[in-house]
Amino acid sequence: MNQLAIKELLYKIADDQLILGHRNSEWTGVGPTLEEDIAFSSMAQDKVGQSLAFYKLLHNMGENDPDTVAFMRNAEQFHNCQLVELPSGEYDFSLIRHFLFDFAESARFRRLSESSVKDIADVANKLKGEIKYHTMHANIWIKKLGNATDESIERLQSALNYAFPYALGIFEKSPFETDLIENGVFVGEAQLQEEWLEEVQNVINQTQLILPTVTDEEIKYGGRIGKHTNHLQPLLTEMSEVFKIDPTAEW
Amino acid sequence: MTAILESLDPRVKRMGITAENLNAFPTPPENDQFATYQVIIEPKEGKGYESAGIVHAPDAEIAFLFGKEQYSRRFTCSGMAVAATADVLASPFTENKISVYDLLEYASLEENNSAGEFYEVFHLYKRGKQHSHWGRVKAVNPEQALYEAKEAYDHSKPVYNIWLIASDNIFFADENIKQIWDTLPLKTHRDVRDYKAQDKINAYKERIKSNL
Repeated sequence: MNQLAIKELLYKIADDQLILGHRNSEWTGVGPTLEEDIAFSSMAQDKVGQSLAFYKLLHNMGENDPDTVAFMRNAEQFHNCQLVELPSGEYDFSLIRHFLFDFAESARFRRLSESSVKDIADVANKLKGEIKYHTMHANIWIKKLGNATDESIERLQSALNYAFPYALGIFEKSPFETDLIENGVFVGEAQLQEEWLEEVQNVINQTQLILPTVTDEEIKYGGRIGKHTNHLQPLLTEMSEVFKIDPTAEW
Repeated sequence: MTAILESLDPRVKRMGITAENLNAFPTPPENDQFATYQVIIEPKEGKGYESAGIVHAPDAEIAFLFGKEQYSRRFTCSGMAVAATADVLASPFTENKISVYDLLEYASLEENNSAGEFYEVFHLYKRGKQHSHWGRVKAVNPEQALYEAKEAYDHSKPVYNIWLIASDNIFFADENIKQIWDTLPLKTHRDVRDYKAQDKINAYKERIKSNL
């Protein structure tokens, strides 16, 4: 089995979680209500913790230690999808992104828990419960606000229209897709997208929202091969600002 | 204008809060809060449910979402329930070993054949502590529920306050969602014991001393 294939898979999972965790943590202290602020911040912290679990697996495979990998790379060395690096915007966008991303993550973890690579399956199984809360949170809010007032429906709909082509970019295929599928490491992005779409559609059907139609050309691919929007580098610069003051400091 | 908030967090720095613009932040309108819900937690399987505190929420479902992150953040958790504060019927308080049950006087209850409903009964055993779930009784109204509870309770400890919540108004987490607490014991970074600062402080003191 090609180790590069597994590394590519782990990097994109971990980078997605780290970047989204950082983005969502921007709501800390300024969330819509105190309780939602705490809930959203906790989930952001979970995401960063989840990324650590995958960076540790990578470290075991010979990659640099998690802190170095997280804080010392430039934008083009990151494998996250573009969806997670977009600015947090208003809460409507952050909620829609959380909904679209976490349902993808939940489907991904369900499949990874069956992986032929035991270490990956173990991490996926361990984190399933956390992701269950994240999807529950997204699900409940989208259903409430997607049926509440003209304003809430309109806001969510326009956030959804904007985010959806990026969300489809989550499923950008890896150059090692066949290798991963044939070796039972992972079911593959195409299958994952299908399962995700069914679940997302199921929630959207219970709201007044409509899933937009997106052509193949409109899908925002590139993140997995290091092609990012202009938003990623400033995020990385800010995220690593304290770490870079003294990379050898013991915290 | 100098910033009055010095922080290592670049996001706080960027806000540029100064003594001059501090009051420029908008004042929220009055009565802009959601109603409160009581959050009731079972810290460990079999340990029983205990009131944990309140959250503000538009409904029970969201109160549950909020309760999980406000009140089950550390150690372990095996279950949670929420109930609107408006649905909690509370007795008067007593103190000095006088049980509130002893003060309850009952008119003779008429034999009632209607089905009645269930009530969850919570006891406060110590002033300043939290109410804990004692049990469930069936009654036609809250008055009878108190009577039933008084009959069934063994009175081993004085009860300083009683809460009654109609079972239909309290929402317990389903078995199948309890896995949301699976990784809770691993979140040791949320507990002070994870930060062994004393060693570092002692080492620092030693260093200062030896430099004198």
